[in-house]
Formats: sequence, structure tokens, C-alpha cells
Amino acid sequence: MTKNISRRKFFAGAAASGFAAASASTIAAQTPAAPKRVGLPDVWGQDFLYQWSPPEHVKRDLTPGPGVIRLSNSQDITNKEGTDYANLFKSMREGGWTACEAASAAWLSRKMPDSEVREIKAQLKAHDVVFYNIHCAGNIIAPDPDAELWQRHIIDAIHAAEEMDLRMILTHTGSMYPNRNTAHPLNWSRQAWERSVNALKNICKATAGSKIKVAIEPVNTEAINNPWAMRRLREDVGDERIMCGLDITNMVFAGTAFRMSELLNTTFDLLEGMIAYIHAKDFVWDGMLPGLDWAMNGTGNMDYELFLAHISRIKDPIMYVEFLNSAEEYQQAQRNIRAIAAKIGVKIYGTQA
Amino acid sequence: MKKQFGMLGIALGMICLPAMALAASDFSGSWVRNNAGSDPAPNAMYWLTRGGATMGGGRAAADVVLNVHQDARSLQVTESGSVVRNYTLDGNPHTRATDTRMENAVVTANLQGNTLVIETTQPFGGMPGNATLKIKEVWSLSPDGKTLTILTTRDLPARQQTYKQVYNRTEPTQGAICSAGCVVPH
Repeated sequence: MTKNISRRKFFAGAAASGFAAASASTIAAQTPAAPKRVGLPDVWGQDFLYQWSPPEHVKRDLTPGPGVIRLSNSQDITNKEGTDYANLFKSMREGGWTACEAASAAWLSRKMPDSEVREIKAQLKAHDVVFYNIHCAGNIIAPDPDAELWQRHIIDAIHAAEEMDLRMILTHTGSMYPNRNTAHPLNWSRQAWERSVNALKNICKATAGSKIKVAIEPVNTEAINNPWAMRRLREDVGDERIMCGLDITNMVFAGTAFRMSELLNTTFDLLEGMIAYIHAKDFVWDGMLPGLDWAMNGTGNMDYELFLAHISRIKDPIMYVEFLNSAEEYQQAQRNIRAIAAKIGVKIYGTQA
Repeated sequence: MKKQFGMLGIALGMICLPAMALAASDFSGSWVRNNAGSDPAPNAMYWLTRGGATMGGGRAAADVVLNVHQDARSLQVTESGSVVRNYTLDGNPHTRATDTRMENAVVTANLQGNTLVIETTQPFGGMPGNATLKIKEVWSLSPDGKTLTILTTRDLPARQQTYKQVYNRTEPTQGAICSAGCVVPH
């Protein structure tokens, strides 16, 4: 069917098109030719070299902030029936650990009586230990129908966190494979991004009104694997409860392995006001492939002085030491962290025996 | 004639005097590590906590050769596969770049009687923000000069490690390239 257009309408339309074209050209003139790419700035030889070596004179502002950092580790609080909470928190405190978190699968496996909840809160207070987080299992963008089940798991964790007066839960955006720790080739596709955003919208909608922060841990194997993606995720979900559970080492790849001071500056700058807590690990590149391996805190590529300085500028900072093998290693890690903090004047809560 | 011999003796004495003075603590020579007599050396570069081909920190059993060149004021150490180290034997702190070329180490080397003491303070992995590592090496020779023992203490806030390495005197390998063995000091 042919549509008849009057002369007046034709000219009006032409004028509008011309205005639109003129506006578009004005906008185009103000916009860089190519969209800005995420990543650290070029150093030199970008036309033939990957930008893997740091520039000289990277700014390292080691001025301590006012925050006193509480340390926690993977000695989780469990809800195992019959737990002696007084002893549990006493031993944490004696070991220099002044905060703790729980793993979701274990924590949600038993409904605690109110009396036990009261007992936990009383013992936390008595030993000056902060229970702050439920660290969630699962994969909220897993192939259906698992995605919905895991979203329900996160919603349950948020309700459990409210019951315990925690500040947050922690999860990942996940993988298109069932196991979130396995990188799927399409994890960076539009489909994966939209599944991630929608999953978090579902979770936020189901828990509307809650004060529990929903912290997302950026991880290399998932779409959210850099601070720019983390920020954009929050914007797309449109809920201020979306925060970052920051694990810098989870975002490291060959291009940043030797540029950690810059990655720290960029990340803390971009994510200002949205870092819920921080994981403390370290790593080295010790293989021919970009093979990164975990290393003792303070001995690898992570710029721990700068890291601790940034953390001390966050309100009520908590740092979670993980991925070590034994109680002895956790104590060693803590000794290094405390020594480095003391060197630059950052305060760590409590003392280590 | 007698006078000529006397003068020659004095001249020889003049030449040999510095060497004689150093004799008790001259570590010059080529030394091969005695693996059986040595403690397992920790991984000096990385402290790995999970996985990794070098996990465990043990050094491979391949021969480790030190070539040491010493004069009255300095010591140069070349180890197979390692950076050449130069030390000034004056007991004063000297700053040098770490192997990463990103940070500095402060090194003091001092001959104390029959021993050489080398103390180094540096960021553990030579990276910005690392925990401070203090290394103390005490070198000593056996009375017959055929065995070199290096007692090393590595001090981090997290832990202290002490281990002994024993080296036997050997013949230098002329002309070998560093990555395959060592370069004999000139």
C-alpha cells in the first residue's frame, strides 16, 4: 500500500530530517571517533607492543585514611548445631581476626532457633567480632532452570543476612556453564550480560526495601571482570544495593600482572563508594603461559602498600584473607599484612598473638 | 748475586703481600654446589601458596655453580642462570636495583675475620609494596680452602628461614655462556 504524503508534511519531514542530521553531525563532532576502550592507559609502543610493563613514576599515594581495617579469613562461622560460639569468637579474636563471614550453603542448611541467633549476636558483641557477610554459592545465570533456583538461593541468603544484622551478601554474576568457575565462551556476550542484569533485577525486586547490600565479586572467568563492567552493572541494574566485593587478583590478566599499582588506583577511583569489602590475596606470574599462581600475601605482584592505603580510606573496611592452605599460612599472611600496614601507618584492628 | 736474590725476594714479597693478607678470606674460585651436604634451598623468587610448577620451593638437583672473583675491595659472584652480583667489601650500605629494576635493595658486605657477611634489605619480590625481606649470608671457607659454606637467613615478617649451602671447589668452565652455565670472571 502506497502512503500519500502531502507537500506540507513532506517539507516538514525534510526539515526535521535536516535538523536531525545537523544535530547528529554536531554530536559526532563532539564525540571521539572511536569509543573509549576499557583498560589501563598506553605506555609506549602501542602500535607493536602489548602494554604490559608499567610506566615510570606511577603515582603511589600511601597516605593512610581514617579507616581501621578489620581482618577476617576463611575460618567461617557455620551454623553447625551445638557450636560453642563463645569459644569460636574467642579463638578468632586471639588469632587477630576481628570479623567473619559464613558460606551460604552451610548457613542456610538449618533454620536456627531465635535463641541461637540471640546467642550469636551476644557473643559477637562480647568478643568484638563483626559478622558481616554471607558468601554465596551458585550461579545466577546458569542454564535454565538452575538460574532461577540460584536466584532464589541468593534471595534466601539476603533474608538470612537481615536476620543476623549483616551488612551484605556476596555473589558472582556467574557463567553460562552450570559451574560458575568455568569460563564459557559466551560469558562476555550481550546474552550473558542481559542475563546477569536481569538476574540481579529479579533478586533486587524480590528483596525490595532490604538494606542488605548485594555485593558482586568481579572474576576473570565472568562478564564482570573489571571495574568498568562492575560500575556499568550497577547502572544497568539500577539499584544502589549492588556493590562490589572487590578481589583485585580475580581481575588480573597478563596485561595487568605487572601494572598492579595502576590497576589499584583505577579500581578504587572508579568504584569509589561502592566497595562493600575486599579480598586479600597475592599472585605471581611464574609460568611460560600467562600462568598466574597464588602467592603469600605481600610477596607477589600485588602492591600491598598501596592496596592497604586505599582500603584504609573506605568506611568501616573489612579485608578477607583467603585461598591459603593452613592455619599457619593464615597467620603468616596476617603478619605480613600487619607489618606492611604498620610501615605506612595504616591501622589494623586488634592484635596478633 | 746474593744482593740480587735479596731484591727479588723483596719484590716478590711486595707483589704477594696483598694476596697473603687476603689468603684467609679469599673466596675466589669456581664452586659447585654439594647437594647432599646442603639444605634444600627455598624458592628465593616466589612464595607460592597454591599450585604452580615450582610449588614447594625446592631447587632442582641440577648442578649449581658459583664463580667468585675477589680482590681487596670487591667481590663478584656469578651463579648459573642468575644475575651477576657485585659487592663492595667496605661494610657500608650500597643501593642497587632489584632484579625487577622497579625497586631498590640496600646491600652491605663486610669481611669479618675469616668470614664474609653480606646483608641485603629489599622488597620480597622486588615489586612495589612488597613486605620487607632481610637476607643475611655468612660465607666461610674450610681450613684447606676446598669447601665453601654459605649460611643464609631470610627474614620476613611472616617467617624466618635459615639454611646452609655447601660448595666444593672445582675448575672453572672457560667460555660457557651464562644461560647454559657461567662466564668465568676476567
